[in-house]
Amino acid sequence: MRSARRLALAGLVAVAALPWLVGSYPVKLAQEILIWGIFAMSLDLLMGYAGMLSFGHSAFFGLGGYVAALALRGWSPSLVSALVLPAAAAAAAGLVVGFLSIRVSGVYFIMLTLAFSQMFYAAAFNAEWLGASDGLPGVPRPRLIGLDLDRTEVFHLYILAFFVLALVALARVVRSPFGRVLRGVEDNERRMVALGYAVRRFKLAAFVVGATIAGVAGSLEAQFNGYISPEALFWTTSGEALLMVSIGGAGTLAGPVLGAAAFIGLQSLLSSYTEHWTLILGAAFIGFVLWAPEGLLGLARREAGG
Amino acid sequence: MAQALNGLEYGMLLFLLSVGLTLIFGMLGVVNLAHGSFYALGAYAGIAVAVFTGSFWLALCVAPLVVAGVGAAIERSCLRPLYARGPNAQVLLTFGFIYVFDDLLRWLWGSHVRSVAPPAALAGVVALGPGRFPVYRIFVILFGLAVALLLWLALERTRLGAIVRAGVWDAEMAAGLGVNVARVFTAVFAAGAGLAALAGVVAVPIQAAYPGMGVEILVRTLIVVVIGGLGSLEGSLAGSLILGQAETFGKAWLPDSSMFIIYGVMAAVLLLRPTGLFGRALR
Amino acid sequence: MGLTRRRFLRGVATTAAGAVLGGRARRARAAPAPLKIGLLLPYSNVYAVLGESITDGLSLVFERAGWTVAGRRVELIKEDDEVNPQVGLRKAKKLIESDGVDFLVGPVSSGVLAAIRDTVHQARQILIVANAGNDEISRDRCSRYIFRASFSNWQPNAPMGSWVAAHVAKEAYLVAPKYAAGFDMMRAFKETFVAAGGKVVGEDYTPFPVNEDFAPFLTKINQAAPKVVYAFFSGSQAVRFVRQYDEFGLRARSKLCGAGFLTESDVLPAQGQSALGIITGHFYSTLLDNPANKAFVRAFRAKYARTPDGFAVQGYDSAQVIAHGLTATGGDTRDKDRLLEALRGVEFDSPRGRFRFDPRTQNVIQPFIYVREVREVDGELANVVVDRIANVRDPGTGCTLPG
Repeated sequence: MRSARRLALAGLVAVAALPWLVGSYPVKLAQEILIWGIFAMSLDLLMGYAGMLSFGHSAFFGLGGYVAALALRGWSPSLVSALVLPAAAAAAAGLVVGFLSIRVSGVYFIMLTLAFSQMFYAAAFNAEWLGASDGLPGVPRPRLIGLDLDRTEVFHLYILAFFVLALVALARVVRSPFGRVLRGVEDNERRMVALGYAVRRFKLAAFVVGATIAGVAGSLEAQFNGYISPEALFWTTSGEALLMVSIGGAGTLAGPVLGAAAFIGLQSLLSSYTEHWTLILGAAFIGFVLWAPEGLLGLARREAGG
Repeated sequence: MAQALNGLEYGMLLFLLSVGLTLIFGMLGVVNLAHGSFYALGAYAGIAVAVFTGSFWLALCVAPLVVAGVGAAIERSCLRPLYARGPNAQVLLTFGFIYVFDDLLRWLWGSHVRSVAPPAALAGVVALGPGRFPVYRIFVILFGLAVALLLWLALERTRLGAIVRAGVWDAEMAAGLGVNVARVFTAVFAAGAGLAALAGVVAVPIQAAYPGMGVEILVRTLIVVVIGGLGSLEGSLAGSLILGQAETFGKAWLPDSSMFIIYGVMAAVLLLRPTGLFGRALR
Repeated sequence: MGLTRRRFLRGVATTAAGAVLGGRARRARAAPAPLKIGLLLPYSNVYAVLGESITDGLSLVFERAGWTVAGRRVELIKEDDEVNPQVGLRKAKKLIESDGVDFLVGPVSSGVLAAIRDTVHQARQILIVANAGNDEISRDRCSRYIFRASFSNWQPNAPMGSWVAAHVAKEAYLVAPKYAAGFDMMRAFKETFVAAGGKVVGEDYTPFPVNEDFAPFLTKINQAAPKVVYAFFSGSQAVRFVRQYDEFGLRARSKLCGAGFLTESDVLPAQGQSALGIITGHFYSTLLDNPANKAFVRAFRAKYARTPDGFAVQGYDSAQVIAHGLTATGGDTRDKDRLLEALRGVEFDSPRGRFRFDPRTQNVIQPFIYVREVREVDGELANVVVDRIANVRDPGTGCTLPG
């Protein structure tokens, strides 16, 4: 366990040093992987820890992005706009959507969350004041005292700081007694009910925490691109995050990040060589589901364990 | 009135699509996200047959059989090992197949939009009161009703139907009765895939075939099934008719919120009746 | 897996072929750094056909020049934007920052263009827009680094408004998909149609991007029984709309007119006989009788064994803009201001007529908007020119380029 932590620390230092080591495009890819890594981790809290397969997580990602875009553009380029408001909005939406969705389970839960995210999508797509189909361009990055976030290396460290924050927060959550209850729910929900746990309340809490962090990831995506569009809310955005989590390894925190790296790496590099990269991606994903359900991280562990 | 007919026709198309999905769920407990891909595959295969032989009717027979074969192969090779692992793994697997099929279809048939005209016997319009209605769409309505009736008879009046119904209730009990459940699973999955393909062929003269059509239709199909109640034939019919009307009238009268309406209907049904209109608590 | 590997090998083979071609060019003249052109187009997803067409048209120009322009070897770098703004933005950054392209060409989708506009402008990256027609790029979001060799959404529709009012009827029903381009196009049509005494009797915006069934709208049109239906659809929706319009027997009652994309060559075969008689406005038709177009169509057919469409012309003209601009600077791309000045001044014979940019917006001045009717020519459906309107330039309201 200690060696794993050392490895993670070394990895973080290496990622932090990237802007001084490689060109600007790989750095931007790394930033995007970090952002999607946060998003995938937040989904994994629901999927890998609490056993809730949500196809509606994109709603909170996109909502965070839109709130950040509106606040940064129209109100003030501050950390409140970039962090507090998107997180609060996503948490509030997560509370409502979660409260309604966790009343059903299994397939019905998947469908209800999907329906909610599509409603968010339809709302953004139809709203002239949100730029309708074209989205909101020209999102500025926040002004922090003495920091110029328009400089690549500064923005890189800024995103990395958020990444570490999300990682630490989620690690705390899953290691706490609360996290253990969630795992119990994933293993056997009925037993936890019988043991007298208010399972619904635990699931709702997990849903809201996941939504909040997804909102922060969405805000970072909007700042990164200077732009947010309805596609961020579409259900296939959730699908992509689900792919990342399962490829990397559900029920772990490092897994989704690995998955995000693999997915974005494949999409960005493979697609330059062949227009059939989706076929390769789909086949690889099917392979993981069939033969390596524990994902890349599981494979690595299996390798290490002999 | 004319809009109600439009809604009925659209609903029947949705029924053809969704009934396979609901059958598969009822028997196998699998939510097949690749169902839309079977629909697309059916449409493209149908066009290939129709262009090659010049007969729409032959396409209507051959394409579903081909797709049923593909479905059977997928069930045997990929889904069977996952039954023990619960629904999430199956959903993710079929999600992966969306990517694979999407690319394969484009590879095989290119990205151009393709279509065939309806058979000559079904071309033209008929006068209905003040309005007019295409003959082919009347055929779609009747065809959908016929399929519904046949499926109902097959489920209620045949031995296989009895096995399937028993399987929906309790797969273990069916196995205890000496039924080869594995083979029935394959047959039902193949039949479901074939039905999706049938819908694909029927839809081609109206909607044409193009890459991405499967993903576009998937969400609507899932909504129908969820509204009606997963695993229920009656539910799938009812859900199709409701959604067909809701969407048609939504488009005609409230175009600004037509996208909301379908999701709103589903959310409302699920919140009031968490297992859909005709569903029962499953597993 | 065998399939994917084969595909992969083919990819490698093409790259190798590119290297050989380049090698030949290098031997021909000791050339300086290669001219890198980044293509940001959809090569997968719904609009893959358009991406292919544009790429083919563009390749034709460079191939004719032996893949060298003004002494520089041409290197194409293709990136698939998947018609997704987020992906498009990522790929645009890759082309600009990692590949350091001299020219960016694309995109097809107006959503992708809206997304990459600021990045392109801030990076001072020259972009030749090869399709996306968002009016705003020639209006309040114009940029001195962005040139449009395709069209603005306003351009084909505004002339059609007055033409339809004068030649068809003064009573029209409008239908278009509910997104930015649909609104742009209908707004332009209405502007001139109403000014010419026309009356809009109904207006519907259909769900986008997903809409399988137009029956509810066709029924409304049937009840309104207008003299003209003016529509904008493209790709699969164009096929569906035209087919279902015919299916409901509306063809005999209300004349269907629209923006050219409704009946372009990419959708015309799938529409079949249903498309006969539709009148559309567009900057191009395959049948145009001018030497540049004849040469273009002949070369395109010889190379790709199919009939070129307007999208191929957009790719062809984008390449010509680059070639002429570069020739004017003697192959120099370092001095940006000089290159921009040269691009603003390019003028050449395009298949659509004499090609010039409007210096105020850097959007192409359409030499003509052709009014075309779908007819059967030699057993094939084609857009036959019946009239034309000359020198159509976007109003460019709100654009503050020096020009």
